[in-house]
Amino acid sequence: MTKVCLRGAAAMLFGLAALPFWLAPIGAQRVSDRAKQIGMKLKCMCGACSMTAGGCSHPGGEFSGPCQAWALPALQQIDGLLTQGKTEQQVMDAFVAQYGPTVYAEPPKSGFSLVAWVMPTAYLVVGTLVVIFVISRWMKKNVSEIPASGAPAKAISSELLERARKLAEQETEE
Amino acid sequence: MDVFGSFALLLALVCAAYALVGGIAAILTRHPLLIKSARQAGMATCGLIFLATFCLEYLFFTDNFSIAYVAEHSNRDLSSLYKVTALWSGMEGSLLFWSFLLAIYVLSVLITYRNKNGELMPYVGAVMAGVQTFFLTLNNFVESPFKALAVPGAGGVMSFITRPDGNGLNALLQYPEMAIHPPNLYSGYTGFTIPFAFALGALLARYPGEKWIHLTRKWTMIAWMFQSCGILLGAHWAYAVLGWGGYWGWDPVENASLLPWLTGTAFLHSVMMQEKRGMMKVWNVWLVFTTFLLCIMGTFLTRSGVVQSVHAFAQSNIGSWFVAFMGITLVVCFGAYLKNRDYLASENHLDSQISRESSFLYNNQLFLAACLSVLSGTLFPVFSEWFTGNRISVGPPYFNKVNIPIGLLILFLTGVGPLLAWRKTSTESLKRNFGWPLLIGVIVGAAVIALGFRDFFSVTCWTLCAFVAATILLEFYRGAKVIRVRSGASYPACAIDLTMRNTRRYGGYIVHMGMVFVFIGLAGAAFNRDVQKTMRVGDTMQIGPYTLMLQGADTKAEQNYTAQRIIVEALQENKPVMMLFPEKRRFAGNNQENGTMVAIYSTWKEDLYVVFAGMDPETREPVIHAFLNPLVKWIWFGGAVVVFGTIVALLPNRRSVLVLAPAPQPSARPLPHAVTTPAVLREGHD
Repeated sequence: MTKVCLRGAAAMLFGLAALPFWLAPIGAQRVSDRAKQIGMKLKCMCGACSMTAGGCSHPGGEFSGPCQAWALPALQQIDGLLTQGKTEQQVMDAFVAQYGPTVYAEPPKSGFSLVAWVMPTAYLVVGTLVVIFVISRWMKKNVSEIPASGAPAKAISSELLERARKLAEQETEE
Repeated sequence: MDVFGSFALLLALVCAAYALVGGIAAILTRHPLLIKSARQAGMATCGLIFLATFCLEYLFFTDNFSIAYVAEHSNRDLSSLYKVTALWSGMEGSLLFWSFLLAIYVLSVLITYRNKNGELMPYVGAVMAGVQTFFLTLNNFVESPFKALAVPGAGGVMSFITRPDGNGLNALLQYPEMAIHPPNLYSGYTGFTIPFAFALGALLARYPGEKWIHLTRKWTMIAWMFQSCGILLGAHWAYAVLGWGGYWGWDPVENASLLPWLTGTAFLHSVMMQEKRGMMKVWNVWLVFTTFLLCIMGTFLTRSGVVQSVHAFAQSNIGSWFVAFMGITLVVCFGAYLKNRDYLASENHLDSQISRESSFLYNNQLFLAACLSVLSGTLFPVFSEWFTGNRISVGPPYFNKVNIPIGLLILFLTGVGPLLAWRKTSTESLKRNFGWPLLIGVIVGAAVIALGFRDFFSVTCWTLCAFVAATILLEFYRGAKVIRVRSGASYPACAIDLTMRNTRRYGGYIVHMGMVFVFIGLAGAAFNRDVQKTMRVGDTMQIGPYTLMLQGADTKAEQNYTAQRIIVEALQENKPVMMLFPEKRRFAGNNQENGTMVAIYSTWKEDLYVVFAGMDPETREPVIHAFLNPLVKWIWFGGAVVVFGTIVALLPNRRSVLVLAPAPQPSARPLPHAVTTPAVLREGHD
């Protein structure tokens, strides 16, 4: 039994030793959760993905090199800055000083970037107001067409009744 | 064969131009022969595009490395399947493939309506020919796939060369899903040309009534289905191949595919307002125009390099062509609208704030808000650079924050909208339709919180999913119950019968149910976890309930690549559940690219997603990156349900028809108010 295990282990070790040199080396160094958290606010600047530095896990294929070349060192740099006692804002500022505002994963909520945040809210709010206005207007139109109470009701012709019936059938089909 | 293909493309352009110019002349002169010749030129265009596409495929299969496109995107060891897919792996071929798919649609339309809608079809034909002319111009003069490889020789004279082997296909594209993702997505993009052609044609022709809507509804649904399928397949490909543990990265090109899908979905809903109530005619026409323009814009974003994207093709000057085409299209659309807008006048009446009609209005507003949010977010880096000189990044956190609330509102309307009555919904009806679903939603929400889930959006999402699912199931149950009383069949049989009687309505419900499943899966993303560790044989790592043990590694040589894989055993409570084989691939060809193959153990609860991340530089031992992604399977399942529902909605109805039966002989004088012709309701098929 022990012999079999040893053979198996030897075979596996041989398999591992046979891993070809083309596999890109990759760091598995641990980074702190805090660094990852701050990294979520920074864009991975590898140029090959649109992910955040904290969320970047792009080891596949073409993407293995550049992302690991940027995201991981960036997280390690954050850890280093945190160890020096820098605050989150100071860490962010350090990256912005180095790469410009493009390093932010999302637009900052100040200056021109604020427009990016205002626009979706405006679409929702203005859109809802427009819909409410349109519905109210279309309802008023309808009310204005109802004959005043007390007016003698017109006799409904069979043709009109049939049309109304067809319309009702059509409208309740879906 | 390359010369033959080139000529076919050139002739196709000539025919398309004739179909356009001849079509316009036919519209102006109403000459039957001109109408016929323009239509036949349209058909000839399609045949010639098919021929050119066949020629390029032939060049791939015969390893003709004297052609630049073939040498760039193929190699001798490439399997037959990928020699087919290499057609759309680069700019030139993918544009030809676009023309090819468009030709299939155009030919289908021209054949289907050969002897129908004589007033409208010349306009439709001319619009379709206009779009084809644009793409064929690109195929012929801007990005020709038949360019020969040439090098400058003595005296600057170019001499043709043939390379012994090609560069090979991009490693990331050598995956079965990549064989079907682009055709689906492109079929969606190109398919929206048909409703666009009908909408613009009907507007130009002042074609009466809602007929163009009836004519194009199925074409729109087909395009929408392909678009949905393409988006989901792309997401699955990103998930299973790229190895980043996610399926949607809000990349500009992903966003570009989502934009026409959102407006297309809005159109599929608002179209009912026009069909049922003759309302929103202007809105519908502009929704179709917008959807088409967004399809073109998506292609522009992918190919122009205006925005940074992982998917972008090599940058070229092709972007200006797309901008010009979009500009011309917009001018034509505006011109047609301004000239004939009185034709779109509609009587808009609403009876209540709470009605099916108003739900459609809110639905459209939300889809449009989502579309505009994605669009402005995608283009914001460009705008910020114009205005401030700094390119501000807009990444996934922004898109998630902005779009999740809109998505949840849409989900809520998915449940509410279909159960509201046309014109006006009474309080009793609200109670009857929403009482149980609301209760079920609240119970599920409470249960989810009790289980310890605290993420606000996920809990809201699951609560709404339960509510929407309950409304849909209740609707099926009520309908099936009525049929059951009469037929006595089982509930499932009655539900199928019910669906087949009104495929559009119940197919739509199935699509909604599919979206519920998709949302269930999306909400799981808030609880994703990952661990990365350097491991030796026998080492273990823990992720969630799973223990991963590295068992070994091996190498295998395949036709076009060599794979290095590691063997990982997944254990749960010390019991083996799965052997996983994540691998790295090294592809043949001059580019010698690397690829990844993720190993996934997928259950309804979660995906155990294992990536062979590479080698530790210090220890030279494998690094394993494991993810635990909850509920991902629901997304793929939901996508399949959406496609199934769309197919159901495309089927013709099996309706009850009135069959006149002989009236029983009257025993006495008929009553004065008796119905003159008694009718007996029988089952039948139309």
